[in-house]
Amino acid sequence: MNEHRRQILQMLSEGKLSADEAERLISAIEEPSTTKSSDIGPKSGGKDRPKYLRVQVDSEDGDRHEGPTKVNVRVPMQLLRAGVKLAYLIPAAALQKANLAMHEKGIPVDLSQIKPDNLEELVEQLSDLVVDVDQKDANTKVKVRVFCE
Amino acid sequence: MIPFVAVVSLRNQESRTFRLWIPLVLIWLLLLPLGILLSPFIFIACLVCRVNPLRGLAVLWQILNALTDTQLDVEHRTAGVSFHIL
Repeated sequence: MNEHRRQILQMLSEGKLSADEAERLISAIEEPSTTKSSDIGPKSGGKDRPKYLRVQVDSEDGDRHEGPTKVNVRVPMQLLRAGVKLAYLIPAAALQKANLAMHEKGIPVDLSQIKPDNLEELVEQLSDLVVDVDQKDANTKVKVRVFCE
Repeated sequence: MIPFVAVVSLRNQESRTFRLWIPLVLIWLLLLPLGILLSPFIFIACLVCRVNPLRGLAVLWQILNALTDTQLDVEHRTAGVSFHIL
């Protein structure tokens, strides 16, 4: 790349190119390299794929004075993938019924649309998922946290 | 890799912890002949339900493999339960 740059500068010094043309040519040469480096950047320095889905629940019942209860669940993402693949095994008629039941409950999900590509995309997006629920009543305090790691 | 061991830890009020190692590999070995014996019936059931038996087997295998590293802990002042699949 430096060789091209040197040639352009030499042509500029020889008067074969104007300053504007030289600038445009240099920027044209540099563009692909910057694009490549920026492409590599986020992937190499970016987040790893999540391996686990974690659910943590901390609850405290003030009335009973029994102390806090802590629940910690760690589910491998691989299990989620395999679980969703079970949807392929559901017969079409049953799938239709399941879709209908979910629509009735206000969940607009079409299980027949879950394909391997969509599934991978879904799991990828889960890496950014963090759900925090804090509930504070007079007697109880519940904190639920769902995230991927 | 399918899970080979499950560890169940139980803690009681006196903070005594009982740890139980369950060799899942023995369970798989016991289930294997049973599965082979039942395979014709499972095959027929799959055909009746219009499910590809090979696909079903593949998904089942994937689920078994994915169970490794599953962990569940429940801690309370009076007792605690921990379940870990290795």
